[in-house]
Amino acid sequence: MTPPGNAARDDDAAARDAARPRRRARSRYLAQALAPLRLVFHDRLATTGVAILAAVVFMALAAPLVATHDPRAITERAEGSWITLGPEGWRVRTAIGDDPLYGLSVHGDGALAVGANGLATLFDGRDWTPWPRSTTATLRGVAHGAPGAIAVGDGGAVVWYGGGEPRAWQLGDTDLHGVAWVDDGRAALVVGAGEAVWHVPLAALEADGGDLTATATRLASPVGRGLLLRAVATDADGSAIAVGERGLALTWSPADTPGGAGVLHQLTLPTFRDFNGLHVDAASGRALIVGERGTLLRREGLDARWVEDPPPDTRALRGAWIGPDGRAFAVGRNGVALAFDGEAWRRDATGTERHFRAVAEVAGTPVAVGSDPFVDKLAPPSSAHWFGTDHLGRDLFSQNVYGSRIALLVGFLGAALVVLIGTNVGLLAGYYRGRTDTVLMRIVDVMYGIPFEPFAMILVLLFDPSLLIVILAISLLTWRTVARLIRSQVLSLAERPFVKAARVAGASDLRILYLHIAPNVLPLVFLELAIILGASIIAEATLSFLGLGPPQSISWGGILHNARLSGAWRTAWWWNIPPGAFIMITVLAVFFISRALEVIANPRLRGR
Amino acid sequence: MSRTYVLRRGLQAVGTLLVIVTALFFLFRLGLPDPTVALVTDGLSPEDRAAVRERFGLDRPLVEQYVIYLGNIVRGEFGTSFHYKAPVAGVVWEKFANTMVLMLVAIVFAYLLGIPLGAYLAWRRGTRTDTLGIVLGLTFRSAPMFWTGMLAVLLFGVALGWLPTSGMRTLPYEAANFFDKVFTLDFLRHLVMPATIIALFYLGSPLLIMRNTMLEVYGEDFIEMARAKGLPERDVLYRHAARNALLPVITQLAVTIGLAAGGQVVVEVVFSWPGLGREILQAVRTSDFPLAQATFMLMAVLVIAMNFLADLLYGALDPRVKLR
Repeated sequence: MTPPGNAARDDDAAARDAARPRRRARSRYLAQALAPLRLVFHDRLATTGVAILAAVVFMALAAPLVATHDPRAITERAEGSWITLGPEGWRVRTAIGDDPLYGLSVHGDGALAVGANGLATLFDGRDWTPWPRSTTATLRGVAHGAPGAIAVGDGGAVVWYGGGEPRAWQLGDTDLHGVAWVDDGRAALVVGAGEAVWHVPLAALEADGGDLTATATRLASPVGRGLLLRAVATDADGSAIAVGERGLALTWSPADTPGGAGVLHQLTLPTFRDFNGLHVDAASGRALIVGERGTLLRREGLDARWVEDPPPDTRALRGAWIGPDGRAFAVGRNGVALAFDGEAWRRDATGTERHFRAVAEVAGTPVAVGSDPFVDKLAPPSSAHWFGTDHLGRDLFSQNVYGSRIALLVGFLGAALVVLIGTNVGLLAGYYRGRTDTVLMRIVDVMYGIPFEPFAMILVLLFDPSLLIVILAISLLTWRTVARLIRSQVLSLAERPFVKAARVAGASDLRILYLHIAPNVLPLVFLELAIILGASIIAEATLSFLGLGPPQSISWGGILHNARLSGAWRTAWWWNIPPGAFIMITVLAVFFISRALEVIANPRLRGR
Repeated sequence: MSRTYVLRRGLQAVGTLLVIVTALFFLFRLGLPDPTVALVTDGLSPEDRAAVRERFGLDRPLVEQYVIYLGNIVRGEFGTSFHYKAPVAGVVWEKFANTMVLMLVAIVFAYLLGIPLGAYLAWRRGTRTDTLGIVLGLTFRSAPMFWTGMLAVLLFGVALGWLPTSGMRTLPYEAANFFDKVFTLDFLRHLVMPATIIALFYLGSPLLIMRNTMLEVYGEDFIEMARAKGLPERDVLYRHAARNALLPVITQLAVTIGLAAGGQVVVEVVFSWPGLGREILQAVRTSDFPLAQATFMLMAVLVIAMNFLADLLYGALDPRVKLR
């Protein structure tokens, strides 16, 4: 059918034609676009769908505001952790506050633990009773004994607990790490940075607090390299041992004359690794030193030789404890807990990644305390992490919030691409018919012969995964349904009088197609857009779940992929449930909307 | 429906398959790495590699490989899998059977349940039951199966310990053939979870189609006629309306079965089901051309055949439809 030539029209009409139909066409597009909207808002389910979808879109757009954390950031947490060893193994107990614990000292049936911000808390075998804080310094070492308790910490902080209010003292200005009672409890030996060893008489501590530097005696170190001393302990014969970095070990001998401060000698041990912790059982003379890379030095008695034990784990050990019967414990970073049964060391599972600083047996129960900032892995939902954390300690709520971005991006872009291709193919095939129709519809037939899911997977596998290839994989096949549907609609539209009228008026093929026919299939396009949107979101989630999603991106399917890959999904329910629920709710919302729009395609459904 | 129509559509189907097979052949050859590189990790000497390439014919020009490949397909030879070092046909048939037994059970259950439920919802149209049924059907369809599968494993496998969570049988087991493997209680226990997950997902489709076509049929004159004859509402519903409304459901069933071989890869992954979907992923990852091509071809054949069947059924069941 050839359109009549333009010569038949006069200039006046041409001018009118140029101005008016565009406006009329625009309003026709608008009216057709608004019609589905009316349908949606007359259907209760569809209105619900729109509300849900709007919420998800808002979540995607405002993800940085909605998310509580950076979804990729590994979150760390510090707390006053403690674990106890029972018949079933180590058990993580409810943390005592947010301040990490650094030192633990046993006296009788109780123990005193000290930690950050001047924390000191007394353990009676069951509960912890915090003592009033007299300093904000980090307390690193503590000695609990008959005269009372003394704690030392950063910046030369010393706290004396002798009944009544604790008294804060200042001793030098370097960080102090360890303390032990010597001279039968008449003095304390304090060690710290710069090979500092102080002899502090008990009498000086019982005053009102203030500066101890003048009354205490600083002993000269025989090494003189300015190394850090980390721990000190009283030995069975009344002497003391102090250990520190690079294999530094000193022995302290009491003074021959009363009131003297004693002398230091260097002790050479079988290794030059950093030592972190020391414990001596004063009754039996058994001793244990722990240090970096699983260093374990053990002494069977006062006069026995120090022997290096083969470690079952080579991570840094921080805390040591050895009993009169030869049993021993060592704890360290990342939840490492070792036990010695008299013959060999073994590693016990603690079920946590917390870092431990000290261990001791209190009233028959081994207790370990920590924890410096540790990666909060696989944490169940809490007020800090609403959906818990994953295997790398990343916040899952934030991941789920950001996951909506990929889902909607791929969903909308994919659906738009599908509808664009499908509508145009349908329009061309339906309008031109003949050979154009045959060729296009044979292509559609071929498309129908390809199973969608395996094809999309293969396509992503063949090319390197990227956002573009995922969108292409999803849309390359799905336009087939749109093309068929639009074509059949156009076939009947093309026979309508208004198309014939347009043709007689001299409109070009493109004008008829896109200004006269296209607006009439627009509602159908909206319906398909909604259907394909749901399908695209599911397809993207499926690809991401199989590890074929856009790389370096956070998506709902990807979260579930990580969960499966880590193997922790069988226990971490908080990891599995939210992403799938988000997918389900979003797709359901889209389905609700598309159901209302189905009336366009099939008016007989109206009023159901 | 004329014989020429069947013939023409049949030829078209064969043509479609040829296009797909050709496209796939070149897509794989050009897109995937050389299998002698992808498969051998410890590294072959250049001579050994050349020998392997010659043995599998990978050194010949692509077009020549293609012609040989087409010739082999016509003779029913699909080559040897690089990975299994065994004829592809055997491998593919076994995985195909594994997939189909799962998918068919699921699909049959979905349709057996969905059709009457859809009819019931149509009967109760506009009521709260109707809305609830629609929302439930749509909910099952919007929940991704890898997620529902994981939740089912978590609940019934890990927490309650009622059902096995992976594979088709408890290992180790002996089975002389496929039927030996399948006709056991152990297999049923393995089948329950994945089949239910798939069935629930598919349930929405027959349910909603049945409901919608029932509503359409209700408006037809012959229903009015049946009511006028004084037939009970139940007879009108099930004997007159339902039989006519079944038509689109049945064609949908054919299409669904066609897509079944492509399977639900994610369900096979979640439940470690040794099916065709997992196989094709593996084959493409290891550049196992013969296996990947044969697997995909089988999937395409089934899709095309069932689409064809759906067309024919439509014409055969509805005399109003004239197929030319």
